[in-house]
Amino acid sequence: MPPTWYVEAVETLLWFEGTPPSIWMRESGPGFFGSLILHSLGMAFLVGAHVATDLRILGVAPGVPLSLLYRLRPMGWLGLGVVVPSGVLLLVAYPTKALTNPVFYVKLASVGSALLVGRALGVGLLGRAGAEAEPLPSRIKAKAGLSLLLWALAITSGRLLAYTYHVLLAADLYGP
Amino acid sequence: MTDVLFEFGLESGIHALMNSAWGWPAVESAHFIGLSVLIGTVGVFDLRMLGLARGIPMIALHGLIPWGVAGYVLNAATGVLFLVSAPDQYLFNPAFQLKLALMGVAGLNVLFFYRFVFAVVRDADPAADPPPSARIAAAVSLGCWVGVITCGRLITYFRPPYHWCPWC
Repeated sequence: MPPTWYVEAVETLLWFEGTPPSIWMRESGPGFFGSLILHSLGMAFLVGAHVATDLRILGVAPGVPLSLLYRLRPMGWLGLGVVVPSGVLLLVAYPTKALTNPVFYVKLASVGSALLVGRALGVGLLGRAGAEAEPLPSRIKAKAGLSLLLWALAITSGRLLAYTYHVLLAADLYGP
Repeated sequence: MTDVLFEFGLESGIHALMNSAWGWPAVESAHFIGLSVLIGTVGVFDLRMLGLARGIPMIALHGLIPWGVAGYVLNAATGVLFLVSAPDQYLFNPAFQLKLALMGVAGLNVLFFYRFVFAVVRDADPAADPPPSARIAAAVSLGCWVGVITCGRLITYFRPPYHWCPWC
Protein backbone atom coordinates (compact mmCIF):
# COMPACT_ATOMS: atom_id res chain seq x y z
CA MET A 1 0.00 0.00 0.00
CA PRO A 2 1.29 3.49 -0.81
CA PRO A 3 1.63 5.88 2.17
CA THR A 4 -1.43 7.87 3.24
CA TRP A 5 0.02 11.24 2.23
CA TYR A 6 0.58 9.95 -1.30
CA VAL A 7 -2.98 8.69 -1.62
CA GLU A 8 -4.31 11.99 -0.31
CA ALA A 9 -2.11 13.97 -2.72
CA VAL A 10 -3.29 11.94 -5.69
CA GLU A 11 -6.94 12.28 -4.61
CA THR A 12 -6.49 16.03 -4.25
CA LEU A 13 -4.98 16.26 -7.74
CA LEU A 14 -7.76 14.09 -9.13
CA TRP A 15 -10.37 16.37 -7.56
CA PHE A 16 -8.56 19.54 -8.67
CA GLU A 17 -8.25 18.42 -12.28
CA GLY A 18 -12.02 17.95 -12.31
CA THR A 19 -12.77 21.51 -11.20
CA PRO A 20 -14.03 23.98 -13.82
CA PRO A 21 -10.91 26.24 -13.82
CA SER A 22 -8.57 23.30 -14.48
CA ILE A 23 -10.83 21.84 -17.17
CA TRP A 24 -11.19 25.25 -18.80
CA MET A 25 -7.43 25.79 -18.85
CA ARG A 26 -6.97 22.45 -20.62
CA GLU A 27 -9.81 22.74 -23.08
CA SER A 28 -9.88 26.43 -23.97
CA GLY A 29 -7.57 27.33 -26.85
CA PRO A 30 -7.28 30.99 -25.81
CA GLY A 31 -6.82 30.01 -22.15
CA PHE A 32 -4.05 27.50 -22.72
CA PHE A 33 -2.25 29.07 -25.66
CA GLY A 34 -2.71 32.57 -24.23
CA SER A 35 -0.92 31.43 -21.06
CA LEU A 36 1.76 29.70 -23.10
CA ILE A 37 2.38 32.87 -25.16
CA LEU A 38 2.47 35.09 -22.07
CA HIS A 39 4.84 32.66 -20.35
CA SER A 40 7.23 32.85 -23.34
CA LEU A 41 7.02 36.65 -23.61
CA GLY A 42 7.50 37.07 -19.87
CA MET A 43 10.49 34.73 -20.05
CA ALA A 44 12.03 36.81 -22.82
CA PHE A 45 11.72 40.04 -20.80
CA LEU A 46 12.74 38.50 -17.45
CA VAL A 47 15.74 36.63 -18.87
CA GLY A 48 16.49 39.48 -21.27
CA ALA A 49 16.86 42.04 -18.47
CA HIS A 50 19.33 39.72 -16.73
CA VAL A 51 21.18 38.92 -19.97
CA ALA A 52 21.76 42.64 -20.63
CA THR A 53 23.02 43.20 -17.07
CA ASP A 54 25.26 40.10 -17.11
CA LEU A 55 26.73 40.92 -20.53
CA ARG A 56 27.57 44.45 -19.36
CA ILE A 57 29.28 43.11 -16.23
CA LEU A 58 31.25 40.68 -18.41
CA GLY A 59 32.54 43.61 -20.47
CA VAL A 60 30.07 43.99 -23.36
CA ALA A 61 28.89 47.57 -24.09
CA PRO A 62 31.46 49.17 -21.74
CA GLY A 63 29.97 52.64 -22.32
CA VAL A 64 26.90 51.71 -20.23
CA PRO A 65 27.47 53.13 -16.71
CA LEU A 66 27.36 50.30 -14.13
CA SER A 67 25.74 52.69 -11.67
CA LEU A 68 22.70 53.06 -13.97
CA LEU A 69 22.12 49.37 -14.74
CA TYR A 70 19.51 49.25 -11.99
CA ARG A 71 17.26 51.28 -14.29
CA LEU A 72 16.68 48.12 -16.33
CA ARG A 73 14.95 46.56 -13.33
CA PRO A 74 11.39 47.48 -14.43
CA MET A 75 11.94 45.25 -17.49
CA GLY A 76 12.81 42.32 -15.23
CA TRP A 77 9.89 43.00 -12.92
CA LEU A 78 7.52 43.19 -15.89
CA GLY A 79 8.80 39.82 -17.08
CA LEU A 80 8.51 38.25 -13.63
CA GLY A 81 5.02 39.73 -13.21
CA VAL A 82 3.94 37.98 -16.42
CA VAL A 83 5.86 34.72 -15.99
CA VAL A 84 4.52 33.86 -12.52
CA PRO A 85 0.75 34.16 -13.12
CA SER A 86 0.95 32.55 -16.57
CA GLY A 87 3.04 29.75 -15.07
CA VAL A 88 0.47 29.24 -12.31
CA LEU A 89 -2.27 29.01 -14.97
CA LEU A 90 -0.28 26.35 -16.86
CA LEU A 91 0.07 24.50 -13.56
CA VAL A 92 -3.71 24.78 -13.05
CA ALA A 93 -4.15 23.07 -16.41
CA TYR A 94 -1.83 20.12 -15.78
CA PRO A 95 -0.75 19.99 -12.10
CA THR A 96 0.01 16.26 -12.04
CA LYS A 97 2.06 16.48 -15.22
CA ALA A 98 4.41 19.07 -13.67
CA LEU A 99 4.46 17.96 -10.03
CA THR A 100 5.34 14.34 -10.84
CA ASN A 101 8.25 15.37 -13.10
CA PRO A 102 11.65 15.94 -11.40
CA VAL A 103 12.61 18.30 -14.25
CA PHE A 104 9.90 20.70 -13.03
CA TYR A 105 11.76 21.07 -9.71
CA VAL A 106 15.06 21.56 -11.58
CA LYS A 107 13.37 24.41 -13.43
CA LEU A 108 12.00 26.02 -10.25
CA ALA A 109 15.40 25.69 -8.53
CA SER A 110 17.18 27.20 -11.56
CA VAL A 111 14.82 30.18 -11.72
CA GLY A 112 15.03 30.69 -7.95
CA SER A 113 18.83 30.49 -7.92
CA ALA A 114 19.13 32.80 -10.94
CA LEU A 115 16.91 35.37 -9.20
CA LEU A 116 19.02 35.10 -6.02
CA VAL A 117 22.27 35.56 -7.98
CA GLY A 118 20.72 38.55 -9.74
CA ARG A 119 19.73 39.99 -6.40
CA ALA A 120 23.24 39.48 -5.02
CA LEU A 121 24.65 41.27 -8.08
CA GLY A 122 22.13 44.06 -7.61
CA VAL A 123 22.96 44.58 -3.96
CA GLY A 124 26.73 44.47 -4.54
CA LEU A 125 26.96 46.35 -7.76
CA LEU A 126 23.83 47.93 -9.13
CA GLY A 127 22.44 49.65 -6.07
CA ARG A 128 21.87 53.35 -6.25
CA ALA A 129 24.63 53.81 -3.66
CA GLY A 130 28.21 52.72 -4.09
CA ALA A 131 28.47 51.03 -7.47
CA GLU A 132 31.78 49.23 -7.74
CA ALA A 133 34.46 50.77 -9.92
CA GLU A 134 36.03 49.02 -12.86
CA PRO A 135 37.94 46.85 -13.38
CA LEU A 136 35.38 44.68 -11.63
CA PRO A 137 36.61 41.98 -9.25
CA SER A 138 36.50 38.50 -10.74
CA ARG A 139 33.98 37.28 -8.12
CA ILE A 140 31.41 39.70 -9.61
CA LYS A 141 32.15 38.56 -13.16
CA ALA A 142 31.85 34.96 -12.00
CA LYS A 143 28.37 35.73 -10.62
CA ALA A 144 27.33 37.24 -13.95
CA GLY A 145 28.55 34.12 -15.75
CA LEU A 146 26.73 31.90 -13.26
CA SER A 147 23.57 33.94 -13.80
CA LEU A 148 23.71 33.30 -17.57
CA LEU A 149 24.25 29.57 -17.00
CA LEU A 150 21.33 29.35 -14.55
CA TRP A 151 18.96 31.13 -16.96
CA ALA A 152 20.04 28.80 -19.78
CA LEU A 153 19.35 25.84 -17.47
CA ALA A 154 15.96 27.31 -16.49
CA ILE A 155 14.95 27.70 -20.14
CA THR A 156 16.21 24.26 -21.13
CA SER A 157 14.50 22.48 -18.23
CA GLY A 158 11.31 24.42 -18.97
CA ARG A 159 11.36 23.31 -22.59
CA LEU A 160 12.09 19.71 -21.56
CA LEU A 161 8.87 19.63 -19.50
CA ALA A 162 7.00 18.97 -22.73
CA TYR A 163 9.07 15.82 -23.34
CA THR A 164 9.98 14.31 -19.95
CA TYR A 165 6.68 13.95 -18.09
CA HIS A 166 5.58 10.47 -17.00
CA VAL A 167 1.95 11.15 -16.13
CA LEU A 168 -0.38 13.65 -17.80
CA LEU A 169 -3.37 13.60 -15.41
CA ALA A 170 -3.94 12.20 -11.93
CA ALA A 171 -6.45 9.69 -13.36
CA ASP A 172 -3.55 8.08 -15.28
CA LEU A 173 -1.95 7.15 -11.92
CA TYR A 174 -4.71 4.59 -11.41
CA GLY A 175 -3.53 2.61 -14.44
CA PRO A 176 -5.38 1.65 -17.60
CA MET B 1 8.79 23.62 -52.06
CA THR B 2 7.85 21.13 -49.34
CA ASP B 3 9.63 18.33 -51.19
CA VAL B 4 12.75 20.38 -51.86
CA LEU B 5 13.06 21.35 -48.18
CA PHE B 6 12.34 17.81 -47.00
CA GLU B 7 14.89 16.31 -49.42
CA PHE B 8 17.46 18.78 -48.13
CA GLY B 9 16.60 17.77 -44.56
CA LEU B 10 17.07 14.08 -45.39
CA GLU B 11 20.27 14.44 -47.42
CA SER B 12 21.96 16.85 -45.00
CA GLY B 13 21.32 14.56 -42.04
CA ILE B 14 19.27 17.27 -40.30
CA HIS B 15 16.17 15.08 -40.33
CA ALA B 16 18.06 12.27 -38.59
CA LEU B 17 19.59 14.68 -36.07
CA MET B 18 16.22 16.26 -35.20
CA ASN B 19 14.55 12.86 -34.81
CA SER B 20 17.31 11.45 -32.61
CA ALA B 21 16.47 10.96 -28.94
CA TRP B 22 17.00 14.56 -27.73
CA GLY B 23 17.35 16.34 -31.09
CA TRP B 24 14.11 18.27 -31.21
CA PRO B 25 14.00 19.36 -27.52
CA ALA B 26 17.69 20.39 -27.56
CA VAL B 27 17.25 22.56 -30.65
CA GLU B 28 14.04 24.06 -29.19
CA SER B 29 15.92 24.96 -26.01
CA ALA B 30 18.59 26.72 -28.08
CA HIS B 31 15.83 28.56 -29.98
CA PHE B 32 14.30 29.81 -26.68
CA ILE B 33 17.73 30.85 -25.34
CA GLY B 34 18.35 32.73 -28.60
CA LEU B 35 15.08 34.63 -28.35
CA SER B 36 15.89 35.62 -24.76
CA VAL B 37 19.28 36.95 -25.89
CA LEU B 38 17.56 38.86 -28.71
CA ILE B 39 15.11 40.53 -26.29
CA GLY B 40 17.98 41.08 -23.81
CA THR B 41 19.91 43.08 -26.42
CA VAL B 42 17.75 44.42 -29.25
CA GLY B 43 14.73 44.55 -26.91
CA VAL B 44 16.69 46.43 -24.24
CA PHE B 45 17.93 48.92 -26.84
CA ASP B 46 14.32 49.37 -28.04
CA LEU B 47 13.04 49.91 -24.49
CA ARG B 48 15.75 52.54 -23.94
CA MET B 49 14.63 54.36 -27.10
CA LEU B 50 11.07 54.20 -25.76
CA GLY B 51 12.16 56.00 -22.59
CA LEU B 52 13.16 53.24 -20.13
CA ALA B 53 16.45 53.57 -18.23
CA ARG B 54 16.90 57.24 -19.05
CA GLY B 55 20.43 58.41 -18.33
CA ILE B 56 22.09 55.41 -19.97
CA PRO B 57 23.38 56.78 -23.30
CA MET B 58 21.47 55.09 -26.15
CA ILE B 59 24.65 54.73 -28.18
CA ALA B 60 26.27 52.87 -25.28
CA LEU B 61 23.43 50.30 -25.18
CA HIS B 62 23.87 49.90 -28.93
CA GLY B 63 27.05 48.01 -27.94
CA LEU B 64 24.78 45.06 -27.04
CA ILE B 65 23.62 44.72 -30.64
CA PRO B 66 26.38 42.30 -31.85
CA TRP B 67 25.05 39.83 -29.25
CA GLY B 68 21.57 40.45 -30.59
CA VAL B 69 22.82 39.52 -34.05
CA ALA B 70 24.31 36.35 -32.54
CA GLY B 71 20.91 35.52 -30.97
CA TYR B 72 19.22 36.18 -34.32
CA VAL B 73 21.66 33.96 -36.22
CA LEU B 74 21.23 31.17 -33.64
CA ASN B 75 17.46 31.37 -34.05
CA ALA B 76 17.54 31.57 -37.84
CA ALA B 77 19.78 28.48 -37.90
CA THR B 78 17.71 26.49 -35.39
CA GLY B 79 14.56 27.67 -37.18
CA VAL B 80 15.84 26.18 -40.45
CA LEU B 81 16.43 22.87 -38.63
CA PHE B 82 12.73 22.80 -37.60
CA LEU B 83 11.54 23.87 -41.05
CA VAL B 84 13.39 21.25 -43.11
CA SER B 85 12.46 18.48 -40.65
CA ALA B 86 8.71 19.01 -41.07
CA PRO B 87 8.17 21.54 -43.90
CA ASP B 88 4.44 20.87 -44.34
CA GLN B 89 3.83 21.77 -40.68
CA TYR B 90 5.28 25.23 -41.27
CA LEU B 91 4.70 26.28 -44.88
CA PHE B 92 0.91 25.84 -44.67
CA ASN B 93 0.66 27.29 -41.18
CA PRO B 94 -0.81 30.81 -40.86
CA ALA B 95 1.14 31.43 -37.63
CA PHE B 96 4.43 30.59 -39.37
CA GLN B 97 3.54 32.75 -42.38
CA LEU B 98 2.72 35.72 -40.16
CA LYS B 99 5.90 35.11 -38.18
CA LEU B 100 8.00 35.35 -41.37
CA ALA B 101 6.12 38.47 -42.45
CA LEU B 102 6.82 40.15 -39.10
CA MET B 103 10.49 39.18 -39.39
CA GLY B 104 10.46 40.87 -42.80
CA VAL B 105 8.99 44.05 -41.30
CA ALA B 106 11.61 43.93 -38.52
CA GLY B 107 14.30 43.61 -41.20
CA LEU B 108 13.00 46.64 -43.12
CA ASN B 109 12.86 48.52 -39.82
CA VAL B 110 16.57 47.77 -39.29
CA LEU B 111 17.31 49.40 -42.67
CA PHE B 112 15.11 52.37 -41.75
CA PHE B 113 16.86 52.68 -38.38
CA TYR B 114 20.42 52.76 -39.73
CA ARG B 115 19.49 55.01 -42.66
CA PHE B 116 17.46 57.65 -40.79
CA VAL B 117 17.63 57.19 -37.01
CA PHE B 118 21.07 55.99 -35.97
CA ALA B 119 22.82 59.39 -36.30
CA VAL B 120 20.13 61.05 -34.17
CA VAL B 121 20.46 58.34 -31.52
CA ARG B 122 24.27 58.56 -31.55
CA ASP B 123 24.22 62.27 -30.75
CA ALA B 124 21.23 62.27 -28.38
CA ASP B 125 21.47 63.70 -24.86
CA PRO B 126 21.16 60.72 -22.44
CA ALA B 127 18.91 62.68 -20.07
CA ALA B 128 16.53 64.10 -22.70
CA ASP B 129 13.35 62.57 -24.13
CA PRO B 130 14.24 60.06 -26.87
CA PRO B 131 13.81 61.57 -30.38
CA PRO B 132 10.45 60.76 -32.05
CA SER B 133 12.07 58.87 -34.93
CA ALA B 134 13.87 56.65 -32.41
CA ARG B 135 10.60 55.98 -30.58
CA ILE B 136 8.92 54.94 -33.84
CA ALA B 137 11.74 52.60 -34.88
CA ALA B 138 11.86 51.11 -31.37
CA ALA B 139 8.09 50.58 -31.18
CA VAL B 140 8.07 48.85 -34.60
CA SER B 141 11.03 46.66 -33.61
CA LEU B 142 9.69 45.63 -30.22
CA GLY B 143 6.19 45.13 -31.63
CA CYS B 144 7.56 42.89 -34.38
CA TRP B 145 9.62 40.73 -32.02
CA VAL B 146 6.77 40.33 -29.54
CA GLY B 147 4.62 39.34 -32.53
CA VAL B 148 7.27 36.91 -33.77
CA ILE B 149 7.43 35.16 -30.37
CA THR B 150 3.62 35.04 -30.19
CA CYS B 151 3.33 33.55 -33.68
CA GLY B 152 6.11 31.10 -32.91
CA ARG B 153 4.13 29.83 -29.94
CA LEU B 154 0.97 29.63 -32.06
CA ILE B 155 2.58 27.37 -34.68
CA THR B 156 1.52 24.28 -32.70
CA TYR B 157 -2.01 25.69 -32.32
CA PHE B 158 -2.51 26.13 -36.07
CA ARG B 159 -0.82 22.87 -36.97
CA PRO B 160 -2.03 21.65 -40.38
CA PRO B 161 -4.08 19.84 -41.53
CA TYR B 162 -6.35 20.24 -38.50
CA HIS B 163 -6.59 23.95 -39.01
CA TRP B 164 -7.64 25.56 -42.20
CA CYS B 165 -6.99 29.18 -43.17
CA PRO B 166 -8.36 31.05 -46.20
CA TRP B 167 -5.03 31.51 -47.93
CA CYS B 168 -3.04 28.42 -46.96
